[in-house]
Amino acid sequence: MLTAPGLAALMLVITFPLIFAFFTSFYDYTLLHPAHDTFVAWANYQAAWEEEYLGGSLWVTLKFVLASVVIEFAIGFSVALALNAITRFKTVYYLILLAPLLINPVVVGLLWRMLLHTELGIINYVIGRFGIPSVNWLGDAKVAFWTVVLVDIWHQVSFMAILLLAGLAALPREPYEAARMDGASALRCFIHITLPMMRPVIMVALLLRLIFAIKTFDIIFIMTKGGPGTATDLISYFIYRAAFFGLDIGRASAMSVGLLVIVLLLTTYLYRYMRSLR
Amino acid sequence: MAEITLKGITKIYGQDVVAVDNVDLEIRDGEFMVLLGPSGCGKSTTLRMIAGLEEVTSGELMIDGRRVNDVDPADRDLAIVFQNYALYPHMTVAANLAFGLKLRRVERNEIERRIKQTATMLGIEALLARRPKELSGGQQQRVALGRALVRDPVAFLFDEPLSNLDAKLRAAMRTELIKIHRELGTTIVHVTHDQVEAMTMGERMCIMRDGRVVQVGTPLEVYRYPVDTFVAGFLASPPMNLLTARLVGGDGPEEIDLSGTRIPVPAGIRELLDGHRGRPIVFGIRPEDLYAEASKANLLPFAVKVVTVEALGPEVVLIASLDDGQEIAARLGRGFDAPVGAALRLHADLAMMHIFDADSGAAITHE
Repeated sequence: MLTAPGLAALMLVITFPLIFAFFTSFYDYTLLHPAHDTFVAWANYQAAWEEEYLGGSLWVTLKFVLASVVIEFAIGFSVALALNAITRFKTVYYLILLAPLLINPVVVGLLWRMLLHTELGIINYVIGRFGIPSVNWLGDAKVAFWTVVLVDIWHQVSFMAILLLAGLAALPREPYEAARMDGASALRCFIHITLPMMRPVIMVALLLRLIFAIKTFDIIFIMTKGGPGTATDLISYFIYRAAFFGLDIGRASAMSVGLLVIVLLLTTYLYRYMRSLR
Repeated sequence: MAEITLKGITKIYGQDVVAVDNVDLEIRDGEFMVLLGPSGCGKSTTLRMIAGLEEVTSGELMIDGRRVNDVDPADRDLAIVFQNYALYPHMTVAANLAFGLKLRRVERNEIERRIKQTATMLGIEALLARRPKELSGGQQQRVALGRALVRDPVAFLFDEPLSNLDAKLRAAMRTELIKIHRELGTTIVHVTHDQVEAMTMGERMCIMRDGRVVQVGTPLEVYRYPVDTFVAGFLASPPMNLLTARLVGGDGPEEIDLSGTRIPVPAGIRELLDGHRGRPIVFGIRPEDLYAEASKANLLPFAVKVVTVEALGPEVVLIASLDDGQEIAARLGRGFDAPVGAALRLHADLAMMHIFDADSGAAITHE
C-alpha cells in the first residue's frame, strides 16, 4: 500500500513509455493525428534493418564501446592498483577521482567543447605553445571519434577505478603473505592472486560500463551531433535523429526496442553472473 | 630443523603503539612451542615477525644462530599456515602445493614425489585436482597444512590454524598436528588463544599479555605454578578461583581470612608474606581441588551457598557463593546434585592453594 505512489510514478515515467514505444514500433505512427496510425506489423523493423546507414552507426557504436571500455579498464585498473598501495590521504584521492563522476554528462560535453574549441580552446593554446599546430578536435572526421572516446574516458574512468579499488581493498591479505613466504614476485602475485580473486569485480565493472557505454548519448548530442559526417554517430543518436529529424517515430521505436533487447540481454547476463557469485 | 631465538624483540606501530614489548624467547630445535594469550596480546605479531611478514622494530631475531631481522621472508625457509587458509583461489590443490616448490626451482619429479607423499600423509590424495572453493573448511585446512609440509621448511609457523574449524574437527586436527610433529620432528611455533590447544599440543607454552611474555614452561608447570593471577585465571576451564582474602594474626602464626574462614599459612612461605600482614591478598584454588566430601586428609571445610549446578555429564560444575558474596566454582563428581540456595560445605585441598599479591597479581606461594 505504502509503495503505491512510488509504483504509480514508476509506471508513469518508465513502464508506460516503454510499452508505448513497444506498440509504436508496430505502427506507422504519425505525429499529425495519433489516432490514424496503421498497424504495419514488422514493417518498421524491416525498414530499420534495411536502413542504409544503420550498419555504419552500429560499427561506430561498437568501436566506441570497445575503445572506451577497454581503455577505461586499463587506466582504471592501473589507478586502482596504485591507489591501493598508498595508505595516506586516501580520501583526498577518492574525492579527486569522484569529481568527474559528479558532473552531469551535458556539462561535461559543454566543458570539453569549450576546452577543445579550435580557435578559442585552451587545449589548442597549450599545445600551440609547444609548437604543435592546432587540431580540429571535433571537426576533423579522423580526430573527432577519438576525441569523443577520450572525453568519455575522462568522465567515466573513475567509475571503473573506484569499483576496482573497492574490490582490491576487500581482498584478503593472507594469500599475498603466503605467496611472499613462497617467494613469489609482484608480477606472479598479480597473475596468480590478484587477477583470479578480482575476476568477479572485473566482470561486473566491465559489464556495467559496457551497458552504459552502449547507451551513450549526452556527450554526442552536445559535442558533435554525430558528426562530422557520421564519424561519431552512435546508435542512440542515430535513433534520436530518426525520431526527431526524420520524424519516423515508428522506425525509431523499432530501433529503440532492438537496442533495448541488446541492453536487456547484457543486463540479464550481469544479473545472472552476480547471482552466481553468491 | 631450527632453533629460533628472540632477544628483546619489540614491535611498535606508528609512533607509540607497542604491540610486542621486549620479548625474550628461546624455541628449541624440534620443539612444539605454543604462544598463548588473549586477542591483542601480541602473539600473532610475534609470529609474523618470526615469519618476516612484519618488521622487527628492535631486538634480535635469530634462526639457528643467524640474525634474520633483515632477511626476506622467502629466504628464511619457514612455512606459515594461516587461520583462513589463504589458498591460491584459482589453482588446484596440486598446484597450490606445487607453487612454492616451483618458485624454488625444485625439479618436476621431485615436486610430484613430494606432493604425493604429503597428500598421502594428510589423506587428501582424492582432492588434488579440485579447487579450493570446492573444498570444505576442514579440507581447505588440510591443503593449507599440506602447502606448508610439502616445502619441508626448517620450521612451521601456525597462526591460529584451527580457529575456523568446528569443535569436533578441531579436536581431530589437534591430534593430527601432534602426530605430524612427532613424525617430522620439525620445530613448530603455534599461536592460539585456546588454552585447551595450548595444554594438549604444546611441549612448552609461552603465555603473553599486553605484548609481554608472562610465563614460559611446559603445560603442567604453567598449570601447577602460575606466576600470577592472569595465568592462573587464563588456563583450564573453569579457571582457578581467585578470591580476595586477608592476611591476619598478630601473636600466633599468621592465618588467611577468607570470608570468615581461617586458613593456616603454609610454613614454607611465611617469611615471604611478611610485608602483607593486614593487607588484602588473593587466595587461589582450582575448581578441581575442591571436594564435596571430606574424602582425604588436610582438607579445609568452609560454608557456601549453591548458586547454580551445571551438570556437564562426566562432571558437575558447582557455582557457589561464600558468606561475603564472592563466587567460587568447584568441579565435583558426576553424582553431585543440590538445590539452588542450599547451604553446604566444600572442602579445599590446602596443599594445592596459591597465594598472590593483591596489587601486582604476582604469586607469593613459590619461587
